[in-house]
Amino acid sequence: MSATDTVDTRPPAGRTPSPRRPRRGRRRSLRSRLRRDWPLLAMAAPAAALLLVFHYLPTLGNIIAFQDYNPFVGDNPLEAFLNSEWIGFGNFEALFRDPLFWDAVRNTLSITAFQLVFFFPLPIMLAILLNSVVSGRVRGFVQSVVYLPHFFSWVLVVTFFVQMLGGAGLLAQEMRQAGYEPWNIMTNPDTFIVLVTAEAVWKDLGWGAIVFLAALSAIDQNLYEAAAADGAGRWRRLWHITLPGLRPVIVLLLIMRLGDALSVGFEQFILQREAVGREAAEVLDTFVYYQAISTQQWGLGAAAGLFKAAVGLALILTANKVAHRLGEQGVYSKS
Amino acid sequence: MKPSLPSASTDRRTMLRLLGLGAAATMGGGALAGCSKEAGSQGSATSADAIKAVLPTYQRAELLKPDIPGEGPIPDGYLSYPTELVDAITEQPGRGGPPIQTMSPWWGPTPPPLGRNSYLSAVNGKLGVEVNPSLQDGLTYADKLNAMLGARDVPELLSAPNWEVDKVARFSDAVKALFTDLTDHLQGDNAAKYPYLAALPTGAWEYSVWGGRLYAVPFPTDGPFAWAMFYRKDLLDAAGMAAPTSPEELYEFGKKATDPAKGVWAFGSVFEMVQQYFGCHQTWRKKPDGGLEHKFEDPAFEAALEFTARLFAEGLVHPDTVASKGADEKQLFNSGKILMYRDGLGAWQGMQSERSKELPTFNMQPLPVFGAQGAQPVIWGSEKPVFYTFLKKDLSAERVDEVLRVLNWCAAPFGSREFELREYGVEGQHFTRGADGTPTLTERGRAELGAQYTHIGGRVPVKVRSGDTPNFVQDYLGYYRKHIDQMEKDLFAGIKLELPANWSKIIQPTDDKLRDILRGRRPVSDLAQVRKEFLDTGGEEGRAFHEKALADNGR
Repeated sequence: MSATDTVDTRPPAGRTPSPRRPRRGRRRSLRSRLRRDWPLLAMAAPAAALLLVFHYLPTLGNIIAFQDYNPFVGDNPLEAFLNSEWIGFGNFEALFRDPLFWDAVRNTLSITAFQLVFFFPLPIMLAILLNSVVSGRVRGFVQSVVYLPHFFSWVLVVTFFVQMLGGAGLLAQEMRQAGYEPWNIMTNPDTFIVLVTAEAVWKDLGWGAIVFLAALSAIDQNLYEAAAADGAGRWRRLWHITLPGLRPVIVLLLIMRLGDALSVGFEQFILQREAVGREAAEVLDTFVYYQAISTQQWGLGAAAGLFKAAVGLALILTANKVAHRLGEQGVYSKS
Repeated sequence: MKPSLPSASTDRRTMLRLLGLGAAATMGGGALAGCSKEAGSQGSATSADAIKAVLPTYQRAELLKPDIPGEGPIPDGYLSYPTELVDAITEQPGRGGPPIQTMSPWWGPTPPPLGRNSYLSAVNGKLGVEVNPSLQDGLTYADKLNAMLGARDVPELLSAPNWEVDKVARFSDAVKALFTDLTDHLQGDNAAKYPYLAALPTGAWEYSVWGGRLYAVPFPTDGPFAWAMFYRKDLLDAAGMAAPTSPEELYEFGKKATDPAKGVWAFGSVFEMVQQYFGCHQTWRKKPDGGLEHKFEDPAFEAALEFTARLFAEGLVHPDTVASKGADEKQLFNSGKILMYRDGLGAWQGMQSERSKELPTFNMQPLPVFGAQGAQPVIWGSEKPVFYTFLKKDLSAERVDEVLRVLNWCAAPFGSREFELREYGVEGQHFTRGADGTPTLTERGRAELGAQYTHIGGRVPVKVRSGDTPNFVQDYLGYYRKHIDQMEKDLFAGIKLELPANWSKIIQPTDDKLRDILRGRRPVSDLAQVRKEFLDTGGEEGRAFHEKALADNGR
């Protein structure tokens, strides 16, 4: 995909006959085009090779979703694929019949929905806020501080929360000293969704704001000046200039997030599973880990992966269509 | 520096699956039915007789008379360090082959790799062939192992703990596809070429047979108990508290010792030990009228569950244990934040030695096992080897010989220079010798040693007194001698079980439900339902499988 984009440097419109442009491309031979484009081809080749070797080739392995896959039959991995027994939709059937699977799907979707409402808008707000800070030094400092947690691993983030808010943590000990019964924050299944969202916000808020900051800097400053000269206040400028300027980026990220609706992370949930129990903390990825990887039901795991991919694709296509209807560019467009 | 080994097998876990079919699930299943088949292995068992035929001939190799001779599965004890060491091996094992890549588990900070590790250089110099170890975190070893086996990409020498091997589905297929058949090299008198491997107990070799062929070198256990309850004797003595001798006293102790305002809680994880106190078997026991009974069907299990759930409910368990997977309980115990927790007995000497450097009064002891209401406790254990070491498939006969000679070197017995070098490193660099001759690891020794040559292959286990753990050998062997008669008999000793897929699949969901009960998220009365779900979705299949294995072996 990226390879062809890069090879053909002309805009896509150049391929269809256009009355305004000469159709030079038709007349050029493959050879002369190669001579012209070889640096671009060379630059794209590694990425294309990576994509081929690490994405498209392994995709073929998805056939094990339709097998009772035994990695140890035959003399090599290829023979293992060929010699494993075909069982049709047996893995899917087992998956869809398993109430644990549906529990995991439900939890995953709840968390996605919750985070769309309570997490997704926050980086936008932070970006707008930072953008309005005039002092470069203050802004740089705040940015560094809020970016930093993104580079912590989940183990560290969860440990940090346990040390601060856990039953033997700082807050609980302070409350005990003051004679109060400490709150149960880390081990309450009912509020777990809030907890994981809070952790995600703490970790990724600053990082998520970067792309919006970039979009903000692309908005023409003259618009603000003109609007201010016409007497538009701070809020009107935000509403009529800033937000419309950000809209394509917001829509793009929203669609991509929807495509990932069935992935909400893995480590964060596996680490806190004991604390709140399976019913609250089981998401699709931990389900696959416990029921497919740990028990070496590779076929079952592949079936769950295919299900996830199919749902993601459907969501992306739908969301993109809706975006087009609303006059947005979306992730891609056909014409 | 011995790691603690979570030596409980999968059996210690428990199981089941949720009942009922969701509406959507029924629809989905119905739509696909008719054109498909169920996946998953049905399990298999190799009989004990087939195993006997391929074992190496046992030949005792002992350089020194033990001060406290071992009995059965209890290792020999030595109360003093020999002043004169001997060379156990006269011919260099290496034949100039390429480096041997190994992978083995380690519970602790990762030591520096080959090239930056003087301990490795020292031992490799003696071996005459390079061993290049890759140490993996023992707690997450299964993840790595599963991926490697699934990809059929294994190192030349792979050490795998028994409890991980038990969990791998179709392991006998994996063994045939990936590892070298050692039968011709080690069967019967052929083992005499490797005298220290021939000295490993026959009971350990029995477990190293898959499909009637010998595939691994076993690492015999240095004590068969799965767990012990450790307590801080120094802190209990200082507070004037006696060690509990009954479940009631254990509870009272918890009440008295827990003081959240000071950050002290009585307990870490204790459930496995409580089950043993209440007389609950690890997994199966024989019913008087024949047939097997799972522990969930035993009233003792319910009593243990109720007891432990109360400890959680009343806040006697450290919040970190409640809140996280694998809380660092060793750390909490070392710093006195918890006073009692269960761990493998292998953890003992290392923790005692390390911690007593900073806190000379530090004294951790295993709590003597007691029964509930006059009933006898049942101690969980098995004489299974701790690790199996496999050789990659398709090595030439000469290479197999070279690798086995290296393993033979690594198995050199106590009292030899080879043992000292493997266990403690080089004098002056990795250890210092006390006035009584016992080696004590230096900082460098602690940093560079990670059982790189110990967890591959096997060795005859011994317990040796060290300068910083003067009473350890007597304490350790005393604990075993006192309780060995209470250990449950392994119904399946010598039978190689490969469990059915449906059985493996119910382990985690059932664990989850029991944890919900322990943590108070579900009432104890839900156990009946959990038990029913467990039996319906794989438990009965597991029972039939295990009963058949016993019947086939005439037990």
